[in-house]
Amino acid sequence: MAVRTVNRRQRPLWMLAPGGVLMIVVILVPLAVALLVSLLDLDQYTLREWTSAPFIGLDNYVEAVRETALPHAIGVSVGYSALVTVATLPIGLAAALATQQRFPGRALVRSAFLIPYVLPAFVVGTVWRTILQPQGPVNALLGEQLLWLNGPRSYWALVVVQLWTSWPLLYLLALSGLQGINNDVHEAAALDGAGWWMKLRYVIFPHLRGVLALGLIISFLHNLNNFTLPFVLFGVPAPHDVEVLPVLTYVESFQNFRFGLSAAMAVLSLVLVAIPLSVYLRAVRLNRDED
Amino acid sequence: MKSMKFIAVLAATALIGAACGDDAPSSGTSAGAVNGAGKTLNVLVQANTIYPEQQRQWFTDTAAKFKAATGADVKFETFASPNDELTKIQTSVLSSQGPDVYSLGTTFTPTAYATGAFLVLKDDDWKKIGGKDAFLPATLGISGPDAEHQVGIPFASRPFVMAYNTELLKAAGIDKPADSWDGLLEQAKKLTTGGNYGLAVAYADGFDPWKFIWAMSVQAGNPLVSGRKATLDDPATLKAYQTYLGWLATDKVVNPAAVGWKNAQAIADFGAGKSAFLPMVTATSKPTLDKSAVAGKYAYAIMPTTPPGQSSKPGNGVGATSILSGDNLVVANYTKNKDLALALVKQLTSAESQEAYYKTFGEMPTNAEAAKKLQADPALAAIIESSSKAAGTPFSGAWSQVQLALVNVVVQSIPALQAGKVDDAKLKSLVADAQKAAQDAIDKTK
Repeated sequence: MAVRTVNRRQRPLWMLAPGGVLMIVVILVPLAVALLVSLLDLDQYTLREWTSAPFIGLDNYVEAVRETALPHAIGVSVGYSALVTVATLPIGLAAALATQQRFPGRALVRSAFLIPYVLPAFVVGTVWRTILQPQGPVNALLGEQLLWLNGPRSYWALVVVQLWTSWPLLYLLALSGLQGINNDVHEAAALDGAGWWMKLRYVIFPHLRGVLALGLIISFLHNLNNFTLPFVLFGVPAPHDVEVLPVLTYVESFQNFRFGLSAAMAVLSLVLVAIPLSVYLRAVRLNRDED
Repeated sequence: MKSMKFIAVLAATALIGAACGDDAPSSGTSAGAVNGAGKTLNVLVQANTIYPEQQRQWFTDTAAKFKAATGADVKFETFASPNDELTKIQTSVLSSQGPDVYSLGTTFTPTAYATGAFLVLKDDDWKKIGGKDAFLPATLGISGPDAEHQVGIPFASRPFVMAYNTELLKAAGIDKPADSWDGLLEQAKKLTTGGNYGLAVAYADGFDPWKFIWAMSVQAGNPLVSGRKATLDDPATLKAYQTYLGWLATDKVVNPAAVGWKNAQAIADFGAGKSAFLPMVTATSKPTLDKSAVAGKYAYAIMPTTPPGQSSKPGNGVGATSILSGDNLVVANYTKNKDLALALVKQLTSAESQEAYYKTFGEMPTNAEAAKKLQADPALAAIIESSSKAAGTPFSGAWSQVQLALVNVVVQSIPALQAGKVDDAKLKSLVADAQKAAQDAIDKTK
């Protein structure tokens, strides 16, 4: 049977249409609306006929940066996301290495590791909220009445809970990376007399670099965009120390009815998210060029 | 090839259709006399978490009764939380489609009015629901900015009261709860003993704190918003914050763990018999308390009306026992079934329905005739008294924002309370921020 080669002109691009239309409807249109709304003075008084809300240019952006808690919220969000992301790396990697070799009950351990990750954020938040109550198990264990859900300690509560729920992602990716390393490489390293550290340092890490970088980026973006966990853990109005960007944006929209201002915040957070993403995409592209 | 194209287009259309899921009422187009055969009325109400079974039954019964009267179907939808409610209302307002009738919390009525998305009732409309006279006059206090511009039809009244542990009070030789906040504090101090605390207060609740601050302020003569001016920076309001936060920090009449409590946890603590007073609850706490350790050992009283630091209510103060609390029904402007919607409102607010509603859910009627029948019940005395002495919160489109600003002061003050003092400098700066936020929001009202 002759293989028919498809040249550029003949490629059935129209088959992309359903996906393309969906992307336009689900992603591009809302994004365009958000951009438009961020330029309007849209609030509870103008909501009903939102298209005729006054156009105020970049005023919302100026107000967001100058007069709201936005800079503070960005600081909190980026700080805690970076902390959590950095901390998930050794934990996820160690867990992946520990479960790479066969041992009795490995399947069980592997499944157990995934529990925090598969639980809905709402459940995680509710459970930890109970655990961290002034009269909760954590304080009972410590024998002290510490305040975890407000004040400076709430920041660390957020870091710990987010870490608890997000490390399995790194673990999963590291595990898949480890499975991808050819056994011959392990054998060759062993024949050359490499110890476990040498193997880790010169054989395993270089292989995992790409997948871990992806894991870190995804993890960071997840943390940065996480709304449910801080919302359920701390409620609104959020305590100052855990006033993260998504919660602030939510409050401006759904409690203060400043839809325009909130949209401006959302657009700014999109820019924030795009920075690590573009760094990653660039890195991937450079790698490909090297190949 | 052609057929494949067709399938792809069909699939895409179906997907888009699903993505844009259309909630438009499935009713007919023309509104006319109240003959609703073939039409469906959509109604949004708050999910009743205390009586979920009964609420489902009530939906069925109400729909059956309405169907018999008009031939139309009623479809109830529920929202789980105030945040849920806001989101739903906003999407409906924005898209001009959704429920025909909403049940809204009283304090949200001003914001709903500000959107202009709800029917302002004309005389004719009031007639269709049985006339304004059918309602307890006090319950109409938060239906609109003035008598000519009302959107909210009072449906249920849930005045705030204070539960107290009769046994603990008796043991301490206190015959009845004090009528001033200072007096209540003295009693609470006396009752804070042997592992028990005087007051159960939900400091971490998203709504409770502002109700205390508002009550103490308005009793001292500061309504927090007057005209287009926010007055959160009034000394009376600062005093209210100091009092409210001081209960835990300096007076130590509240369990220190209360910094993490929501309303339900305060009720649970009181129910366990560990605190003597439980201020700022409604009669909806009754089913929980009747199943708790204090069943038969508690009673309701109105909350104090003499502001903190004073021995009698000042001349310009309002002796409010509670915010005007409960639910208002509003009819959406975009409804294609206005008369049908008003007919349903009439059914829901009739004396008969309101009595049945009270018997099932324990919520007080707004219908004057139904309310009159309950007046003789001694168990309800405090609740009925509070209902008649409740005052409406300011009817401002910015009230939700003012509320949020008021609660935020408490949220940000909590970490410092453990040090055993109310940091006045910090408190003043937080109140100043709240004043600014409130004034900015009011400046934007249209």
